[in-house]
Amino acid sequence: MSERHIEIDGQSVPYEEGETLLEAAGRTDAEIPTLCYDPRLEPFGGCRLCVVEIEGSHNPVASCARKCEDGMVVRTATDALEQHRKTLVEMVCSENRQVDVDPLSGFASQELAVLADRYDARTQRFVGRRSGQSRVDDDDNPFILRDYDQCISCYRCVRVCAEQEGDYAISVKGRGFDTQITVEFDGKLNESACTFCGQCVATCPTGALADRKALRHVDTPGPIEKTRTICPYCGVGCSVDLLTKGDSLVGVQPAMDGPANKGALCIKGQYAYDFVQHGDRLTTPLLRGDDGELHPASWDEALDVAAAGFLKARDEHGRHSIYAIASGRAPHEAAYTTQRFIRAGFWTNHVDNCSRA
Amino acid sequence: MAGQNNEQLIEHWKDEPAPLLPLLHAFHDRDGHLSEDALRAVSAALRIPLADLYGTVTFYHHFARFPPGMSAPRVCTGPVCRLVGGTELLEAMRKDGATPMACAGRCDEPIPVLTDHAVSVGATVEALQERPSPLPVANPGGLPECVFRSIRKEGRAGIAGYQKSGGYRALRSALSSGFPAAVIETVERSELAGRGGAGFPTGRKWRAVANEERGPKSVVCNADEGEPGCFKDRVLMDHDPHAVIEGMILAAYAVGASRGFIYLRYEYPQTAVILQRAIDEATEAGLLGDDILGGGLDFRIYVRRGAGAYICGEEGSLLNSLEGKHPFPRERPPYPVSHGFEDLPTVVNNVETLASVPPIIDRGGDWYRKLGLGDHAGTKVISLSGDIQRPGNYEVPIGFPLPTLLNEWAGGAPEGRTIQAVTMAGISGGFLAGDDLETTLDESSVRARGSMLGAGGIMVFDDSRDMVDVAHSCMEFFAHESCGKCFPCRIGTQRLTERLAEADDVGAAGPGDRADWAREVEDIGEVMKATSACGLGMAAPLITESLMRYWPDRVAEHVASRAS
Ligand SMILES: Cc1cc2nc3c(=O)[nH]c(=O)nc-3n(C[C@H](O)[C@H](O)[C@H](O)COP(=O)(O)O)c2cc1C
Ligand code: SF4
Ligand code: SF4
Ligand code: SF4
Ligand code: FES
Repeated sequence: MSERHIEIDGQSVPYEEGETLLEAAGRTDAEIPTLCYDPRLEPFGGCRLCVVEIEGSHNPVASCARKCEDGMVVRTATDALEQHRKTLVEMVCSENRQVDVDPLSGFASQELAVLADRYDARTQRFVGRRSGQSRVDDDDNPFILRDYDQCISCYRCVRVCAEQEGDYAISVKGRGFDTQITVEFDGKLNESACTFCGQCVATCPTGALADRKALRHVDTPGPIEKTRTICPYCGVGCSVDLLTKGDSLVGVQPAMDGPANKGALCIKGQYAYDFVQHGDRLTTPLLRGDDGELHPASWDEALDVAAAGFLKARDEHGRHSIYAIASGRAPHEAAYTTQRFIRAGFWTNHVDNCSRA
Repeated sequence: MAGQNNEQLIEHWKDEPAPLLPLLHAFHDRDGHLSEDALRAVSAALRIPLADLYGTVTFYHHFARFPPGMSAPRVCTGPVCRLVGGTELLEAMRKDGATPMACAGRCDEPIPVLTDHAVSVGATVEALQERPSPLPVANPGGLPECVFRSIRKEGRAGIAGYQKSGGYRALRSALSSGFPAAVIETVERSELAGRGGAGFPTGRKWRAVANEERGPKSVVCNADEGEPGCFKDRVLMDHDPHAVIEGMILAAYAVGASRGFIYLRYEYPQTAVILQRAIDEATEAGLLGDDILGGGLDFRIYVRRGAGAYICGEEGSLLNSLEGKHPFPRERPPYPVSHGFEDLPTVVNNVETLASVPPIIDRGGDWYRKLGLGDHAGTKVISLSGDIQRPGNYEVPIGFPLPTLLNEWAGGAPEGRTIQAVTMAGISGGFLAGDDLETTLDESSVRARGSMLGAGGIMVFDDSRDMVDVAHSCMEFFAHESCGKCFPCRIGTQRLTERLAEADDVGAAGPGDRADWAREVEDIGEVMKATSACGLGMAAPLITESLMRYWPDRVAEHVASRAS
């Protein structure tokens, strides 16, 4: 059978069985707006911004959910569609306290603001009641800020928690305009099934779910820079982007294109980075004196004492008496060096890492 | 179920098909509400994450989480009941813990009050009385009927009376012929189309399911009847339950289904009892169960009660609800014919559609088709209510003139009044007024007037009624029942309600300038009609559209009163 094609805005596009119109359109110049879409999740069809016209179909269809069929003729940006999208974005803006949120809020947090600009939708039309309510006493967890006044009920958080993380910690309460993202019995996150992986924060398009740790640095001066690296905590090897402002590490975001994690993280990779610039961190070696107390020392002094200790142990008890554990909080280079040091230095395989999950 | 402990309730239901709703009802019936303890037990038993279960339970209006729960009265404040004092009755009963509920399908004798498992009707506290649904009056035009043909016969609701008046004859002859395909052919020939609102050809639906290879297949009878002003399915189930059951068995035979469900709205508790009794009778008589009438068909029917959500009448939402999922509508395609209950091929049909099938099989497809007027096929039950002398259900030939129904059959407006407007499709078709009241009752004619016939509910409003107020109460219904899945409807129904509210209403919002008001309302309406994920959001703006079309001056006045 010959290759299957659909026509998108006049261009013939090949597709694979099962692909959606939105996926196929991703390989063209078409810029279809979305708000409830996360490529990692099952299509949902909530925001309706992605609607496109299909020849022969009376109403526009949601391109995120509709599968390609051979010969379909699709238009993605007619005047009517763009008008609907503008109205929709204006409507969504009307249910929130504010459209603009700090980019430290989360990976996808700028999506609504970007669309509001694109559709010139900061018109203050459609004023009325706002949707979503937060718990006033919700400060018990240091990680996730729940600011539901900013929620637009796209259910990305609910779906990512279920489909990607398998935690099923959050769900939808009520219906219609009174819809509220919540956990069982409207409890607090830290009393729910939440594991604080931060996936919901990363996918939220409005900052309604926000990275409370990163937001501590809203006032730290300087632009946000991103540096790609790998989480050191375990063997999964999730890709992360470290967010820095100047010399300060201000946050971590999952790398959506990380080969091992595709945007997923666990609480360690997502939030356990405060030690990096913690005030209690050692800045000089310490040696225990005869008084039993630790005293600052130079690197040469400290290394001499350590070397003597290792050699004494090897000479008295043999090379297999030595065992090293590298810390998950050390850089990858240090973990590698530790392993070389133990294997090549002492001829033993007694070496491990503290987070070998 | 009173007195049973958690384990006993769970043991009873957990291996039944579609167990979540009946298990929740079992706890709800026992305790009067759904306690945290109950939800934890159900979550563990059915392996549904607690957060999901909690969210889903809160979706349903009638599941109470706290005492007094079920025993507190719920008073209908739907558009018809408001005409005769629904709001006042609610206020009078507040001291008993009463809360409002949306149209409960007793518009022919308002006002229904639901307490525990009983619906009473009456316009005042003193008048409230538990009563069976009224039978339809004899056809005022003496015209031949299909679903009402035998409904008035003595004892028709019991299996003996049903069989005496020709019941189960169609099933017997179909089964003994041994050709399921012949049933489909007859239904196709009859040109029967869905009576639940969408009007999809029933024969074509059945053929599609019959052609599917995967199984087990299901037949789902949509008895959710949540559309305000519709109460036809109730009268069919109350007075002719075996016709619905026979229609389901014929459908099962035609498509090869083994499981049947009747998804019944919560507000019809008496109907649940009637249906279960009829199913038990039919099972006893060998008409349900294994090897029905020796014809090789295995088929069982389970009644599943909803819990107060209009959207659960939408078939995707209904199927999610049956499966115990959050009842959002499903993206289509795929359709239920291939991916229905538990993702398997499923027939979903309305009560009236299914009840039409036995007479069609009995008398032939041509007989039914010719019941319609002109080119139209068959009949439709119209539920008529509001400002009309003789409200009730009337079976009319499709293509029948609306004025004849209103004025000759139902006696016209109350003494001294004239008919100002009617709604169509319950309220999903918006209003018709003026010359458009001359329409005939068929989709093409009604649609040409910017409305639709849908499930056939028609509410009448006389010249004393304020149509902005009526429109507001209709839009309030849509906002209350919007599932919240899609943006245009979730936000749109809310914003339209705010714009229809009177200036001093706490819920009012929106421009006080007429042109701005109209542009907002039109833009919302356009986007809802074009992009909503299901029929609710597509239909709701017909209310504002028709309001602005027929009553521009009243709308101008309404907006002006907000400017100050
Ligand atoms: C919002 C909404 C509510 C609906 N409610 C009902 C209902 O209460 N009863 C019903 O039979 N169909 C209802 N429908 C139509 C069903 O989705 C479906 O089309 C119908 O049950 C199919 O049966 P039929 O072909 O026999 O009409 C509703 C549709 C929508 C969009
Ligand atoms: S909290 Fe964010 S991700 Fe979740 S539904 Fe609201 S806007 Fe969407
Ligand atoms: S610790 Fe967590 S975030 Fe880090 S690599 Fe392992 S799974 Fe990924
Ligand atoms: S149109 Fe309304 S009821 Fe239908 S899916 Fe959208 S929000 Fe839900
Ligand atoms: S991206 Fe398709 S409906 Fe939201």
